[in-house]
Amino acid sequence: MTDAGYFLRLALLLVLQVLLLNFFNFSQYLVIFFLPAAILCIPVRRGGIFAVVTAFAAGFLTDFFADGMLGLTTCALVPAGYARTWILLLIFGADFFDRGEDLSFRRLGFWPVLFAVFLTTLLFMLIYVWADGAGTRPLWFNAVRVLLSTLVSTMLSVFTVNLFSPVRQ
Amino acid sequence: MTRSRETGTLLLTAAVFIVMEIAALVLLSRSATLQNIWINRFSHRVMAFNWRTGENVRSHFRLREQNEQLAAENFTLREQLRRYQEQDRREAENAHLAAGEGRFIYIPATIVKMSRNSLHNYIILDKGSDDGVHPHSGIISEQGVVGVIQAVGKRYSYGLTLMNSFLSVSARVGRDGLVAPLVWDGVSTYRGYLKGIPPHRDIPEGETVYTSGFSFVFPPDIPIAVTQGVSREDGATNSVAVNLLQDFASLRYVTIVENPSRAEIAALEEEKEEAP
Repeated sequence: MTDAGYFLRLALLLVLQVLLLNFFNFSQYLVIFFLPAAILCIPVRRGGIFAVVTAFAAGFLTDFFADGMLGLTTCALVPAGYARTWILLLIFGADFFDRGEDLSFRRLGFWPVLFAVFLTTLLFMLIYVWADGAGTRPLWFNAVRVLLSTLVSTMLSVFTVNLFSPVRQ
Repeated sequence: MTRSRETGTLLLTAAVFIVMEIAALVLLSRSATLQNIWINRFSHRVMAFNWRTGENVRSHFRLREQNEQLAAENFTLREQLRRYQEQDRREAENAHLAAGEGRFIYIPATIVKMSRNSLHNYIILDKGSDDGVHPHSGIISEQGVVGVIQAVGKRYSYGLTLMNSFLSVSARVGRDGLVAPLVWDGVSTYRGYLKGIPPHRDIPEGETVYTSGFSFVFPPDIPIAVTQGVSREDGATNSVAVNLLQDFASLRYVTIVENPSRAEIAALEEEKEEAP
């Protein structure tokens, strides 16, 4: 996948994410984010710096257009961008980087990719919920919110990963 | 070459991450008051941790200097303690003076040496002829009679304690009872006997025994002992066991009792003995 193709899809997801945040508030325990999966799907040939900067930009744009606090999504998404390399390395090994493959359910298997998405989303949600509460909410509330949001966001992120998957050869 | 390049890339990525995250936090803190307070509180905690850690490291390297300061302070405190102990010792000696009577001279003294495990126990005091001490002066404490001075040097004096089989003290049972010589039993540190008690005199147990005042050594009415049981001494007299009031084991300060009239009384006695 080319960089242009990636950013095009990312822009589409950003619009969806902003719409979701602005118009769909399901519960105080649930917040849905596609962006961690989108950051995980950055082309593998691109390094960590690219991922961090892209995460910052995506988070900033989301915060800017969504009804929220400026910097909240950004400060949660930047660590997810930084952790992307380590999560991929942990689950798929160094060969994955040597081959220069992109993330795909078809080639890498459904569950390993889903687990990678889960870890990235979990990291994002931990920081997002923690920063959103700013130490004022009880631990159980934050824990329920993190778990619920992570599970739902991970399941919905299956479509995100499919969106970024390379065209079937 | 490749490895160092990888390390450089990793460091650069980490640096970019930190910069981006700080930028995000700055944005967050400026956009919401609650988050601003939260981030400030977190940053203060981090700063406090850093200062505490730094201070701990600094303190670790200052231990030698602090040890030297503590040693100097310890020395000063020990000096002060010695001064206070000396002051207490003088006050204890003066307390003996306050307890004394008018016609005797009382000289406070500290025990330099005292034996307790012999049949003929002795005591050495830190006062001598330079301090006005003479032989045959009495030695007392606030608990009772201790002994009698036998020999006097310029700065020290030597005496026999009541725990000496050679020493006998004129004693009275009660304030105005029977007078009899009191001697040590030669065994324990707290037992003695009143000797030569006539068999017809009933001596009750628990009666206090005082100095009689019938000698020029001790003033009268100094408590010495408490009576215990009566036993037959020989066919003609009884002896009364007594518990000495003086605890020789804890004795440290004493008072020397000097009778200024002793020389005159002794001269009179000698004169009377020489006369037909």
